[in-house]
Amino acid sequence: MTGDVEHLTCKEFVEVLTDYLEDALDPAERADVERHIVICRGCSNYVEQMRSTIDLLGRMGDDAADGAHSEKLLGLFRAWRAGGAPT
Amino acid sequence: MRERCPCAGGLRDAQPADAGAGRRVAALAKRVAGRRYSPAVQPVAIPAGQRPGGEDERALVAALRRGDETAFVALVALYGVPLLRLARTFVRDGAVAEEVVQETWLAVLNGIDGFEGRSSLKTWIFQILSNRAKTRAVRERRSAPFSALAADDDGAAVDADRFRGEGHRWVGHWAAAPADWRHLPEDRLLSKETLARVREAIETLPPRQADVLVLRDVEGWAPDEVCDALGISDGNQRILLHRARSKVRAALEHYLLEGAPA
Repeated sequence: MTGDVEHLTCKEFVEVLTDYLEDALDPAERADVERHIVICRGCSNYVEQMRSTIDLLGRMGDDAADGAHSEKLLGLFRAWRAGGAPT
Repeated sequence: MRERCPCAGGLRDAQPADAGAGRRVAALAKRVAGRRYSPAVQPVAIPAGQRPGGEDERALVAALRRGDETAFVALVALYGVPLLRLARTFVRDGAVAEEVVQETWLAVLNGIDGFEGRSSLKTWIFQILSNRAKTRAVRERRSAPFSALAADDDGAAVDADRFRGEGHRWVGHWAAAPADWRHLPEDRLLSKETLARVREAIETLPPRQADVLVLRDVEGWAPDEVCDALGISDGNQRILLHRARSKVRAALEHYLLEGAPA
């Protein structure tokens, strides 16, 4: 032990980061995390890396739309309706 | 006199922590250390008559029961792509994922008469997909055995060897601090290769983590929507998201450090 109990370690920081970003910390805990970001360049880089990661994940959403797939589903629906639907 | 953590790297001086900070940090650390993803299924308790969807959803269900094609098309427009993307987190093969989605829609159509509205329609549809995709994934060999526990892990967000160990003055602080990605060449982070690495990283996540990550960060769903669709508590949703994001970040860091691709 170093006696410096007031210091949130970097190892602890990376584990509470999602709670921080999701706004799930109470105000005092939030302040501790923010203080750590201010004093620690490694962790401030880590936060930026995480934000970039989330941003990249948001860019993954542009590829899956597939017209042929929708066409198949419509065929499936029509077959279902012809075969089993009441009316 | 307070010393600064070596990873402070010349940033501003630490402000003196207030009196309660030590206690809070200890509590914060304990909270993290004791935390586990608990796979117990959270009952989705929504009082009758106050369900998400409400009137609109009842109308949609009624129309579907009548065999109304517009209702089906509307539903596919809403959930078709997210279902496909979620299926792809279970089965790598795109064609197989499409089949799983088709099976899901067929199960929805065949089951719509028996749908009682205990959960929202969206939740119900996503649960059908999850169940089918899991069965299929086991058959198609998705590496890990598919039990909720085996599929999850209690791993750390960052490898322990990145931090200074026991006995060091700065135990728990960075030994190898993360780099500043803002110094990367502009197009590197957004390159096709980088995006491909992100996709690979998602594919190797334990399925529960992948589910949450895809719905939250790829699809942009709100946390409560994800909890509802997957039948998990808010706390578990956050733990799964945390593990998943941490792993994707680590994979990206690894890739970006490994030097330029050919």
